[in-house]
Amino acid sequence: MVTRLAPDARSLFTAAEIEARTNRSPLVEAEHLLLAMSAHPATDAGQVLASAGLTHEALERALATEFEASLAAGGVSVAAGGQDRPSARQTRRLRLSASFKAAIERSVTASSGSRQIRPAHLLLGVLGAQAGTVPRALRLAGVDQAELATLTRQALAG
Amino acid sequence: MPALEIDPTSGPADGLAAVVALRRLADLMEDAEVERAMRSGWSWPQVAEALGVTRQAVHKKHAQRLIAAGVDLRRR
Repeated sequence: MVTRLAPDARSLFTAAEIEARTNRSPLVEAEHLLLAMSAHPATDAGQVLASAGLTHEALERALATEFEASLAAGGVSVAAGGQDRPSARQTRRLRLSASFKAAIERSVTASSGSRQIRPAHLLLGVLGAQAGTVPRALRLAGVDQAELATLTRQALAG
Repeated sequence: MPALEIDPTSGPADGLAAVVALRRLADLMEDAEVERAMRSGWSWPQVAEALGVTRQAVHKKHAQRLIAAGVDLRRR
């Protein structure tokens, strides 16, 4: 059986690319997919995130905290808003990062046995990361990643 | 050997995340500073020399974005 992307999961891909563009990122990363989910509270994934207090605004804050903390670990501090905002990149299509592709691969695995890949499967894929920006941002925001994954599985089962 | 349990916010994770964050900061700075130089009337060869890269590389990376942002790039 061929698994297919549910329409609301498919639209998250487009939304993730817009998040990447907004964040001046040359690649679409796993965190951009997570941001896209949080901006769509009507989806199963968006509901799980909202139940954990992860609104779009809260996630943006968590990611900004992670960025500053990681810069600080590298001995660099940047005053918030102290930089010029460069004009956005105009490339027609942004490339997908390794973190994004890995999340999708885990989503496909998580959706085996299901008719479609739903947004919650994509969320499980993102939450499967052990290292990198998403696990760090969640940890710094005081969110238990494993518990969030459990909630996601429950949402898929229910 | 089973994979090591990773704590995403301590020790090596902090160091590796610093590499990621510094790369991102450098990318953001490059976009902003190239834009500032070109808005100040610098030529592509001058920007390329200052960054230590070829004119083709800096043009390929930034021209489309700056044209869309309304920077006049004729005769540079």
